[in-house]
Amino acid sequence: MSTVVAAPTGVRRSDAGVPVLAYRHVVKRFGGLTVLNGVSMEVRHKEVVCLIGPSGSGKSTLLRCTNGLELIDEGEVAFEGKALPRDWNGMRRVRQRMGMVFQNFELFPHKTALGNIAVGPMTVLGTPRDKAEKQAHGLLGKVGLADKAASYPFQLSGGQQQRVAIARALAMEPEVMLFDEPTSALDPETIGEVLNVMKQLAEEGMTMVVVTHEMTFAQRVADWVVVMDRGAIIEQGPPEQIFQAPTVERTRSFLSHLGWSG
Amino acid sequence: MRFDWSVVWHNAGALAEGVELTLLLAVTTMVISIPGGIILALMRLSNVRALSAASAAFVELFRNLPLILVVYTAYYVMPVTTGLNLSALATGIVALSLNVSAYNSETFRAGIASIRKGQTEAAYALGMGRWQTLKEIVLPQAIRRVLPVLASTWVSLFKDTSLVSVISVGELAYTSMRIRAQTFRVLEMLTAMAAIYWLLGYPQAKLVDWINRRYGVKE
Repeated sequence: MSTVVAAPTGVRRSDAGVPVLAYRHVVKRFGGLTVLNGVSMEVRHKEVVCLIGPSGSGKSTLLRCTNGLELIDEGEVAFEGKALPRDWNGMRRVRQRMGMVFQNFELFPHKTALGNIAVGPMTVLGTPRDKAEKQAHGLLGKVGLADKAASYPFQLSGGQQQRVAIARALAMEPEVMLFDEPTSALDPETIGEVLNVMKQLAEEGMTMVVVTHEMTFAQRVADWVVVMDRGAIIEQGPPEQIFQAPTVERTRSFLSHLGWSG
Repeated sequence: MRFDWSVVWHNAGALAEGVELTLLLAVTTMVISIPGGIILALMRLSNVRALSAASAAFVELFRNLPLILVVYTAYYVMPVTTGLNLSALATGIVALSLNVSAYNSETFRAGIASIRKGQTEAAYALGMGRWQTLKEIVLPQAIRRVLPVLASTWVSLFKDTSLVSVISVGELAYTSMRIRAQTFRVLEMLTAMAAIYWLLGYPQAKLVDWINRRYGVKE
């Protein structure tokens, strides 16, 4: 295997216990194209792990393999110590405990902000409407959109839509939140509001996996940074290592392409 | 040429009954054909080969036969081959429903296919099952998206109900033709019939436009 995993130099925040997510030699192919080539890493309880790397390096695919939107071809993804089920119903139960936020928000356009947040608990968990809506109002407040309950997605800005999408995922009270380039489709002026919500979540101890191009966010908020290139992890470590003293030349060149100077 | 419009007023009661039956035919047919179309569309999109093939065969058969032929066949052949003796009205509803369900199926199929994959994935990511995703997320959007097409199907259906007059269902066209035959007031009755169909059809078309503006999904 050509994967180079640099020895982590820092100490992880929580080394004890079963990792929330453990990836072991994960391989994913699309037809003849290998998009993940033996990826191994861990996400621990209350940790924020940022996945960075050039476009097409497999970051989003790794995230989508985590909640079964894509199925892996080889290796294993374990959630709380148990390999992900291969059957639809088993995977459904796992998804209920993982929140996902998409690049293009994917809010349901026929539902209000409130409806978008309440639909998961009502449909999946059988929560009564009044209880689900009460919870949804609370979550809208948490993401700073208490006054937008009755708005439809098309009436909201990109940043507001993404915050509703975060609230929608939180409504299921997930064990881990997966963010797939949550700010890539946003206008620069609304990126901050979404990152602030994510930062607040991190401070509250939410376990998070974030695919991002926001290096400042990764440096300030991440506990662990994973650098991917061509379907493999080329380096992983605490943000101080990755951003100040990368041990791998390709990390350095990726960061310098982004204009990152530390 | 002298016109005698009194024939219309004298037969207002009969015409009103005809209108009632026309509305009954159209509404009942649509009430059957919307779920019918959705079921056929879901069968067509299913991974089960047999379901998909059965739906395709049904749709291609009834979409490509003249409605009047279906009406006649339902009236003369169905009782013989199935032993089912329905009233003329019920037979008319069956024939219309076969035709409109086939059209609606194609409409819904296109609507469902137009909902992007990310919406389904967002629903799956919340832990929804396939059926929940369809019911809560995909169908509500698909139905709103195809409202204009359903509306034009409705307007066609409303006029096509006149075809069941050939099996003596006393709807508006049959009633008008009967009065014409009894009174020989051809032009008056045809004009009355045209006016009634138009006056009923136009507001419906406008209403559907309004529903579409009001409830259409905006993105």
